[in-house]
This record gives sequence, structure tokens and C-alpha cells, in this order.
Amino acid sequence: MENLLTLKNIQLTYHSPKSETKAIENLSFDINKEDFISIVGPSGCGKTTLLSLIAGLIKPTSGEIVFHSNNSQVGYMFQRDNLFEWLNIWKNVSLGLTFHKRKTEENIAYAKELIEKYGLKDFVSHFPSELSGGMRQRVALIRTLSLRPEILLLDEPFSALDYQTRLSVQNDVFSIIKHEKKTAILVTHDIGEAIVMSSKVFILSKRPAMVKKIINLDFDQSLTPFQRRKDEKYQPYFDEIWEELQ
Amino acid sequence: MKNNYSKEHKKYLLKTRARVFTIHFSRILLFVLLLLLWELCARFNIIDPFITSSPSRIVKQLGMMINDGSLWHHTWVTLYETILAFSISTLLGTLIAILLYSIPFVRKVLEPYLVILNSLPKIALGPLIIVWIGTGTKAIVVMGILICIVITTISMLNGYLSVEKEKILLLKTMGANKLQIFFRLIFPATFSDMISVLKINVGMSWVGVIMGEYLTSRAGLGYLIVYGGQVFKLDLVMSAIVVLCLLAAVMYFLVSLLEMYVNRKR
Ligand SMILES: Nc1ncnc2c1ncn2[C@@H]1O[C@H](COP(=O)(O)OP(=O)(O)OP(=O)(O)O)[C@@H](O)[C@H]1O
Ligand SMILES: [Mg+2]
Repeated sequence: MENLLTLKNIQLTYHSPKSETKAIENLSFDINKEDFISIVGPSGCGKTTLLSLIAGLIKPTSGEIVFHSNNSQVGYMFQRDNLFEWLNIWKNVSLGLTFHKRKTEENIAYAKELIEKYGLKDFVSHFPSELSGGMRQRVALIRTLSLRPEILLLDEPFSALDYQTRLSVQNDVFSIIKHEKKTAILVTHDIGEAIVMSSKVFILSKRPAMVKKIINLDFDQSLTPFQRRKDEKYQPYFDEIWEELQ
Repeated sequence: MKNNYSKEHKKYLLKTRARVFTIHFSRILLFVLLLLLWELCARFNIIDPFITSSPSRIVKQLGMMINDGSLWHHTWVTLYETILAFSISTLLGTLIAILLYSIPFVRKVLEPYLVILNSLPKIALGPLIIVWIGTGTKAIVVMGILICIVITTISMLNGYLSVEKEKILLLKTMGANKLQIFFRLIFPATFSDMISVLKINVGMSWVGVIMGEYLTSRAGLGYLIVYGGQVFKLDLVMSAIVVLCLLAAVMYFLVSLLEMYVNRKR
């Protein structure tokens, strides 16, 4: 499989007047194209920090992050959808296109296609406040995808949703990402979510974060997250990750 | 659509409408009653109309001033000063806030100065203004600006600083530069702060300008009030106050219109 991203001996220390916090120490891993990685780990171990590093929002204290592709555009999704309440859905989706002169006909057509394909066509002139939480999160995903990022960084994007919505949005997001052939890194506290969404689970240690264990999930390719939950392999994986996190 | 409402809903609508009507009606009634009471007390010398004036005397006074054109002259002078003070302080205050927002170092350095300036009663600077700038319109406008500008700067700066950090990060991951972040996010997100600043400034610029006119003036509503007080022409004082009330209400109404208009456009 084609290698997309390499992290080499990443180290990151936060400095504040009162303390020095080593958030990440000696972290190395590779990510292949179309991987769906889930990252689980104790609270405060440095998961968000890791995503910020990959997104280029902060620079590592030492180490190297290498993109093996000339498109290093990342798509970042947060816990909250961060839709702009004063813009309608179409303007929210095409927001990213206004920077760097990306508002080309081709890109606009792609964004429109995404909107149509993923069931938001009737809502383009609605405002975010008129949409349900699940739909809003879908808009946020399409906004992210419209920039054609090589890699999607998802920081607990479903944790603000109620349980039922979460299950259906997991399904949606999973199929959209598979369909668009994107690479994704999902940070989550929900072990079940990690198992049903991803191809590999990275278990991080307590702060400073290191990769404690990588679990390859070997599900039938055709299963949806919903079906994976009912698969017989689900429970053993769950127990294994649970054990590791203790 | 309308006919689909249930009986209870119709009843509810009727009740709310009746309530809104009663509120409006009571407001007007209260106003009329107060005027009437004032007028009667003055007529029957329960209060001294020489000191308290009376609605009919105010109307007479206003009529006179309309006829000789002085009402328009004084009103225009004050209105002009207020509009100047209002627009300059709003623009300048917002600009300073943008500057402080984009240069954290300067912001930190100036923080205590802003706090002190904010709590300083600006009227204390009156004599200085007159010495430095001289008497007349300029000094009055400066007084008005001084009153509004610090609070404008502080309110807008706080608004900018309270924009969600995550949204800023989001735009950064999309490759937006600082200017784009400001115009796409910070500015629209703090729109309601802008409106409330405008509303505050409408009131404050009147305060500043009238204070300025108390200090130094040869015309204007503030001048009429001071002059009327000095020569004991309370009808004049009251008339000027009535005109001020009307003007402040109109200006507040205009800002509300602006707010409604822009909210609908968004
Ligand atoms: N800007 C910062 N300055 C100083 N310390 C920070 C900063 N951001 C994070 N930290 C510290 O670094 C550590 C890792 O933070 P991070 O947000 O990456 O954890 P996380 O794994 O995402 O946590 P959670 O599971 O709660 O989301 C924490 O101890 C946190 O207090
Ligand atoms: Mg986090």
C-alpha cells in the first residue's frame, strides 16, 4: 500500500510560565493511503496535540512530519461543527474555497456534487440553526471534503451528538469517507466507535503520548459500522482495547 | 394556513393581541394623564408654573421658537455635533480595537491605561480640552468623542477576543490568512457587539455633546438649557429637554432599523 504520511520521532513540549508539559515523546508511525486510523488513549495524553501537529497548526519541538504527496491539504473536523450561523449551508460548505483562489468552476461543481450526493441539496439556502445536529455534522464534513484534502483529521467529531444520531452519523461519515477514498485519523474516547469505523486502532500511552499498541481490525470490507457492531469479532476487539487502556 | 389553527390557538392569539394592545394603550394613557396632571396643577397654582413650566407653556415656547427659526438653528447645532462625535468615536474606537486585537503585545501594554481611562469621569478633562483645543464646536465634539471612544474600544476588543478559538483554527487549516480570518469570521461574528456599541454610543454621544455645550457654547440645546436656567426661563429649559428626548428616540430608532435590516439580510 502507498505510504502517505510519516511521523519520525516526534516530540512536543508545551511551555507555560508555571510548568513544562511534555505532551508527546518519541512518537513515530506511518499512515498509508486510505487508511482509517482511530486513536484512543487516556484523557489529556496528547491526542489533540497530535492532530494539530499533523495539521501544521503547531510545529514539533523535534522530529519530522513528512507528507509523501504533493497535496498536503488537511481537513480538520472538531467536536463542534463550527458552522458559521450567519452563512447559509451553501456558503458554509464553500467557505474554504474562498481562500487561495480555490473558487474555480471545477471546485464549485465538486462541492455541489457532494451536497447533492449526501442529501443536503434541499437545504443549501437554509441556515445552520434550522438543521439537526446530525445534519450539521454532515455539512461540516462536506465543507471539509470540498477542499479535497488528502487526509481528514477528526477530533471526537461525534461526541456532542446524542446516541442515536451518533450511530447514524457514524454510518454516514464512514460511507462518505470510503466512497471518496479518503485517508482519515479519528480521535475518540468511544472504543466501540473506534472498532466500527476504522481499519487500525492506535492505542496511546499516558502523557507523554507514545504508541502503546496498534490493533489491525480485520472485518469484512463490505460491512457498515452498523453491521460491524453485530459482528462476532466486535466483542473480542473491544475487550482487547479495554484491557490495554486500563 | 390561518384557518387551520385550532380553536385554542385562535383564542390564544386573540389574547396575546389584546394584551399587546392594552400595553400600548396604557403607555399612551399614562403619558396623557401625566401631561394633564402637570397642566392642571400649574393652572390651579398647586405648583408654581414659573419654576416647573407646563405643557401648554412648552408648546407656546416651541411655537415661538419655530416661528423665529431659532429652534431649528439650536437643534441643528447639537445634532451636527452629536452625529460627528458619534461617527468619529465609533469608527476610531473600532479601528483602535482592531489594532489592539491584531497586536497582542501592544494590547497587553495598553491594558491598564484603558482600564483607567474607562473609569475616569471624562468631564474632568473639560478644562483641559478648552485650554488645548479652544472653545466652540471642536471642543464640544471632542468631549463627545472622549465619552464614547474608550467604551467602544473596550467593548469591541472584548467581542473580538471572545470569538471561538476553534473557528479561527478551522479557518487556519483551510489556509486563510489573518485578513481573511478577520473579515470572514471575527467581523461578522461580533456583529451583535457592534450593534450594542452603536446603541450605547447613541446615548453617550448626546451626553458628551450636552456636557460639552454646558462647558462652552454659544448655540445648541445644551446652551439653551444652561442659558434658560441662568435667566430663569424654565419654559426654555423644558422645551430644549423635550426636543432632546425626541431626537434621542429618533436616533435609537434608526439604529434599531439598521439592526433589523442587516439581520434580515444575513
Ligand atoms: N496550549 C497548551 N499549552 C500548554 N499545555 C497544553 C496546551 N495544550 C494542551 N496542553 C497540555 O498537553 C497535554 C495534552 O493535551 P491534549 O489536548 O493534546 O490532550 P488530549 O489527548 O486531546 O485530551 P482529551 O482526551 O481530554 O481531549 C495536556 O496535559 C494539556 O494540559
Ligand atoms: Mg482532545
